Amino acid sequence: MGTGIAPGQLDPLIHVPARLRIVGTLAALPEGDTLSFTRLQELIGLTPGNLITHLRKLEDAGYVVTEKTGNGPASRTSVALTAGGRAALDTYTATLRDLLAGF
Amino acid sequence: MSERFDTFGPPKPSQAEIEFAAGAPGTEVDETGELAPEEAARLLEQSQRHAQRELELRPPLLGLAAAVVMLVAYGAVWLSVRHQHPYVGPSGTALAVLYGTLLAWAALVLVTLRRRMSGVGGRVAVRRRVEGLTFAGIWISVYVFQGALLHAGASHGIVYGIWPAAAPLIVVGGAAAAYSAGREQSPALGLVAVALGAGAAFAGPAGVWGVIGVGGFVLLVAYAALRFWQRRA
Repeated sequence: MGTGIAPGQLDPLIHVPARLRIVGTLAALPEGDTLSFTRLQELIGLTPGNLITHLRKLEDAGYVVTEKTGNGPASRTSVALTAGGRAALDTYTATLRDLLAGF
Repeated sequence: MSERFDTFGPPKPSQAEIEFAAGAPGTEVDETGELAPEEAARLLEQSQRHAQRELELRPPLLGLAAAVVMLVAYGAVWLSVRHQHPYVGPSGTALAVLYGTLLAWAALVLVTLRRRMSGVGGRVAVRRRVEGLTFAGIWISVYVFQGALLHAGASHGIVYGIWPAAAPLIVVGGAAAAYSAGREQSPALGLVAVALGAGAAFAGPAGVWGVIGVGGFVLLVAYAALRFWQRRA
């Protein structure tokens, strides 16, 4: 779960444009809030297939958690950043600042 | 406005959401491209800013609309009572404008909240709904108390003048200030509303409508301008 990243190295799981937008968007929510898959897709403008792929990668890493309710056409999926995901984004942001500052 | 927001009720899940819930595989994505730190910083900032704007519950434009509502609603009442001696209260037309604009305002707030909260769930979202209901209850209690004043034989100047004009600002503004302070946010807007309501009451049952109409308009325009400025900073 986000381990094995050398100091000064950007987390490769977040350092991809689509996933950066996903975690950036989810981080704008207060801790404890969730966003539906459909609204998330609307906010970041990814194709459904791409969003599914990136969400699965983030979920496998423990950065986001998804909760599914209902079945078939009534099924809904809510997505939220986990505490680990927030911590990983904080570390990523700090590393990014250091890189931009020339450290 | 997208089709999903045209009707009330929870947003419909897209086909992709249904497929995701069913465990469908996503499409192959290319991750070989290099992303420069500058570009990453820009992307991250853009995404967060965009999400904050889209999910913000009190957008500055809503503040501007509130300013206009305040000026029109209070101004209409003031125009109908400004020459009354003794004070008897606003005319039917003025009351229709007052309650018409307030109803239009309430509808605008509901539609805005519904759109902004669409797809948002969880603990905090539930708390926000409870907060909204609490403030609505406080607001309604102001008008219930107005009925009690009438029942107790208070003068028209109080029942149809000073109380309905100033009390909403003092009571709801006070509650909003306490709420903001409790969340470590600035209580300034609520406190200024309280001060405006209390101070305007000295203008008497007719003047209070004019003072609050203009004062509230200026206050809300200034607040909206501040929010616009904070967004751009």
